[in-house]
Amino acid sequence: MKRSMGVAAWMALVAVIGAVPLLTDDRYLLKVLVFVGINVIIVSGLALLFGYAGQISLGHAAFVGIGAYASAYVTSGLGLPWLVGVLAGTTLAAIGGLLLAMPSLRLRGHYLAMATLGFNEIMYVIFREARAVTGGNDGLSGIPFPEVLGVRMDTPASIYLLVWGTALVVVFLVANIVRGRPGRAMRGLHGSEIGALACGVDVARLKIRTFAVSAGLAGLAGTLYAHAVGFVAPSTFSLEQSVVLLAIVVVGGTGSLAGPVIASIALTLLPYADALIPGLGKDVIAFLQDWEADIYGIAMIVVVVLAPKGIGGLIRAARSRSRAEETG
Amino acid sequence: MSLLKVSHVTKRFGGLTAVDDLSFDVHEGSIKAVIGPNGAGKSTLFNLLTGFDRADSGAATFLGGDLLGRRPDTVVRRGVARTFQNTQLFEELTAHENVLVGVEPSLRAGFVRSALRIGIRAEERDARERADHILRLLDIERWRDVIAADIPHGVRRSVEIARALATGPQVLLLDEPAAGLNGAETQSLAAALYRIRDHGATIVVVEHDMGLVMEVSEEILVLDRGRKIAEGPPLLIQKDVAVIEAYLGEEVEDDDV
Ligand SMILES: Nc1ncnc2c1ncn2[C@@H]1O[C@H](COP(=O)(O)OP(=O)(O)OP(=O)(O)O)[C@@H](O)[C@H]1O
Ligand SMILES: [Mg+2]
Repeated sequence: MKRSMGVAAWMALVAVIGAVPLLTDDRYLLKVLVFVGINVIIVSGLALLFGYAGQISLGHAAFVGIGAYASAYVTSGLGLPWLVGVLAGTTLAAIGGLLLAMPSLRLRGHYLAMATLGFNEIMYVIFREARAVTGGNDGLSGIPFPEVLGVRMDTPASIYLLVWGTALVVVFLVANIVRGRPGRAMRGLHGSEIGALACGVDVARLKIRTFAVSAGLAGLAGTLYAHAVGFVAPSTFSLEQSVVLLAIVVVGGTGSLAGPVIASIALTLLPYADALIPGLGKDVIAFLQDWEADIYGIAMIVVVVLAPKGIGGLIRAARSRSRAEETG
Repeated sequence: MSLLKVSHVTKRFGGLTAVDDLSFDVHEGSIKAVIGPNGAGKSTLFNLLTGFDRADSGAATFLGGDLLGRRPDTVVRRGVARTFQNTQLFEELTAHENVLVGVEPSLRAGFVRSALRIGIRAEERDARERADHILRLLDIERWRDVIAADIPHGVRRSVEIARALATGPQVLLLDEPAAGLNGAETQSLAAALYRIRDHGATIVVVEHDMGLVMEVSEEILVLDRGRKIAEGPPLLIQKDVAVIEAYLGEEVEDDDV
């Protein structure tokens, strides 16, 4: 009855991810998979905050935006190296999470949702209006490709490997956090804040740190996005995107990391299904893209009604069934 | 020796004085019962001592420092743990996981060390073993892997006691641990209380079940409308006129949790 993912499973995952660019040189497919990997990173962080610690955020797209704009500005505006941009974007987003979490400590449920929603709206206005840094509604273009140790990652395959390598590391780290002491404290906090306090959990510090880590991961994803696409504009970081991210975590299930990761892969791929299924008609894709938000909405309703614990809940149920069959 | 010394503690809720100039001592290694009619201020007293509520005046000296006005998590780390009249279990977590969160105060690993899994193996293993040990101490190890939401009422109180015990307290405050328990469960609770005491924890127990109170406690503190109306060994308290009046005043309709 091994609960955590074994070394073999991780190695298989590395092999599958690494094999993709060897099996295909389809630029469109690789680009779509880059978006999927970026969402996996964001959703891992949001699963930590919402799925484990039970703290809602409707502001995560703004953290992605902070990372993206910061890295874009540091590299193309200030001419500093890519890695500096990544660190700046990630750190700035984490600080943003910290600053949002501190005044929100007493807020719960709907009130925390409103506060984070307000944060997203404020950041959205800043992205649009702070033209000197963000380029306003036109956005920033000409963001350089990632470059480490003189190696420029300017092919879809190299960007794919960079993003998915990062995603793999992030999922691994978050998985460790989740099954270690911080994860247990988060699940406790989620279940009963009073109970967590009575166990000696420093609830205020835990909330602030979790917010910062979660926002930092969103920021990291944002930096990857900026350099992968080469262009950032405000609409990518709107409240609507925050809602979509939260919907993915809900579909994935609370108290689970695998569930939200699977949900982020499936739901991000959906509007680009033609990348995987080449024969798919244009009208089908047009339909999927036009109705994307509605499809997410329906997915959420279906999950809430049929499987309230999401994909993660289904995984747990299947596991305990197979365990019961083993022993019984 | 007095481990916990409560002096002149008062707590008002608007016009109501829930705890009124209350003073008493808890001796190290003893089991002390706090009784009194509904609304006497027993739970409020626990809330004041554990940082869930703020006293208007008074002091509570524990290990040379004042307990009042501290945060709940700080109080626990100092060595005073509690359970709640309305159990505050983590419903989605198993009994073992609930108790593991209780081990929290003795763990060191933060985000970074947990994420990188640096030097946490021994700590995690010890924590798990300690949680298992405590489940055995309370005789609930067969519920180890059942989530709290699925654990029957009588056992849930034991899980919460186990979780409080996992914090390694010197003083354990139990708020109506026998509420909703049947006769057999109450008997095994009494046995568990002795085991916990022998384990080194001093116990203060708020309880309406007089059979249990008379059986386990060495000393009884009686509250009525926030005030101490009697204090002493069970045999004396049983005969105390003021106590009998306080209880006759409201009739022995059994507790509604
Ligand atoms: N947060 C609060 N605000 C206002 N009044 C309160 C609050 N908490 C308790 N009280 C009041 O203080 C008094 C003491 O309440 P407390 O819960 O301490 O009683 P108790 O002795 O634990 O009673 P029971 O045996 O019913 O649990 C009651 O009159 C109660 O209504
Ligand atoms: Mg009470």
